Amino acid sequence: MHEVLSKAKKTAVTPKNVLTVEGLKAYYINEHFGVRREVRAVDDISLTVQRNEVYGIAGESSSGKSSLIKTLAGAIRPPMRVVDGSVKFDFGGQSIDVYGAPEQLKPARWRHLSYIMQGSMNVLNPVRRVKHSFHDFAYRHMGLSGAAFWSKVRQHLERLGLDPDVLEAFPHQLSGGMRQRITIALATVCEPEFIIADEPTTALDVLVQQDVLGLIKDVQARMQASIIFVTHDMSVHAAITDRLAIMYAGRLAEEGATQALFDNPQHPYTAHLIGSLPRIGDVRVRKSLPGKPPALSDPPSGCRFHPRCPLAIERCSREVPLMQPSATGGRVACFRAGEVVAA
Amino acid sequence: MKVLIDLLRYNREFLLGTILISIILALVAASFFAPYDELATYVVIPDMPPSAEYWLGTTSRGQEVFWQLAAAMRNTLLFGVVVALVSRVIAIAVGLVSGYLGGRVDQVIMAINDTLNALPNIPILLLLVFVLRDQMSWPILAVTAALLGWQHDSRLIRSVALSLRNREFTRHAVFSGMRTGQILWREHLPYVMPIVFYTTMNNLIWAIGLEVTLSILGFSDINRPTIGGMIYWANAHSAMVAGIWWWIVVPMAFVVILFLGLFMLAMSVNEYIDPRSRLARMGA
Repeated sequence: MHEVLSKAKKTAVTPKNVLTVEGLKAYYINEHFGVRREVRAVDDISLTVQRNEVYGIAGESSSGKSSLIKTLAGAIRPPMRVVDGSVKFDFGGQSIDVYGAPEQLKPARWRHLSYIMQGSMNVLNPVRRVKHSFHDFAYRHMGLSGAAFWSKVRQHLERLGLDPDVLEAFPHQLSGGMRQRITIALATVCEPEFIIADEPTTALDVLVQQDVLGLIKDVQARMQASIIFVTHDMSVHAAITDRLAIMYAGRLAEEGATQALFDNPQHPYTAHLIGSLPRIGDVRVRKSLPGKPPALSDPPSGCRFHPRCPLAIERCSREVPLMQPSATGGRVACFRAGEVVAA
Repeated sequence: MKVLIDLLRYNREFLLGTILISIILALVAASFFAPYDELATYVVIPDMPPSAEYWLGTTSRGQEVFWQLAAAMRNTLLFGVVVALVSRVIAIAVGLVSGYLGGRVDQVIMAINDTLNALPNIPILLLLVFVLRDQMSWPILAVTAALLGWQHDSRLIRSVALSLRNREFTRHAVFSGMRTGQILWREHLPYVMPIVFYTTMNNLIWAIGLEVTLSILGFSDINRPTIGGMIYWANAHSAMVAGIWWWIVVPMAFVVILFLGLFMLAMSVNEYIDPRSRLARMGA
């Protein structure tokens, strides 16, 4: 508890935020035959990520996780649009306002900001050798001549426990785990300050997953980089992240130091999420939450969780709860935050 | 190299196609060692049947059929290759750009594409021949044919490019800051290359057929020996009626050999590219 508080304090005084997101709203806007539909996949999200920190984003499927980080990376395409808010990166004094001045972002990509995409085992072009992918993606950003570039790439692969000969291979000649590691090597070879990882371990079995997680953690620690790590797998979050944000239906429900969040969830949704995790030796039947996540095109009024929330009161359906500092040093968006008991 | 040997060993179509095309290529090579000028007439005794001296006989114009055939094959093949190459460049460029950019650009390009596709080829070429008359030369004809022969293949390439557009490696390439041209050239072109190989063969067959058609009708430079041109002259001298059958049968037989050879190659290349038909061969 004490450690958690001290960490929270550090958050408050250190102004060194690599990423600052304020009031970000990004909707999928469709217009068919004059009928306008909005899918509010990212709705009023504010968060900060500090230097040398692994920031986790958790939530069930279709809660807006991928939409959020695509928006952060400036990688959105119509029909998705940023309606309001700002995303600002700060790379060693060079600040970039992703939606205020988008042209600043382009040269920074891959050099400072890299992205391990969902289904990232498939980012290698199936008809080209791995070395061509390295050349295509990273060569321009490194500013090194041919030989120096390749020795750097080989060195980097070796450090990640890969045989540099994989450069000569086609992707289909490699196993899923190797491709995943190559993808991570590809995303980190320029030593970026900020890495966005979208479910990088989801398609892997647990052993390879552990391996890959260790790898990411290693790379991050050596480069002092910041990572936004997205997955629905809470055990992965427990293993790798420093701070964790829980998303529900396009909004943040709770954010805090990972350990504190697991020990002492403040939001009823977080409590149920953590309560549903199996533990060795515990044979109790896990309670499931009735209902299903709301459609983001027509979300419930007030707190979006209230139709499923066991603690819901009348106020919850009228007012949207704002993110408030919580008792454990994080932030939580719930009117009854203090009354939550871990299930 | 190993692939080629394997194909020759296990794929009968490929073997047959290779043999047939080798015959044609040997003929083309021979044309460079012709004892007579290919345009000269009355250099040998006319109307001689095939014999030890004149392997495939001589024509009523006093030319040896064998050397005429060699030159004709070279010119016809050259025509076909030029048409195929030019139309490939257009088809690849249009297909990749249209498929990758999508949206409004795609709609406009495909509208033009389909309009051109709907135009009948032969009447346009005949019109061109009548307009140009004496200025008509084979390069002009080749370029015109190329401009008429790419629409179908560009649609094929576009359909693949449309699916590549949303693949992870494309999104990654965009994110890493590669320019559109680089993405098309370096990431997408290798992907559509098998289709390009396959359609090139078909396009070659189509172009040669077009050349033969136009030449038989006399709508090309008739003095320059081509397969169709030979048949044109044979007809002009009523070769069949006069009993000079070798003049008309030989070019026909060799153009059939050429078509069969190309078709077999196209088929076996398709099999090499498409794993499903390879599985079918293995009995799966």
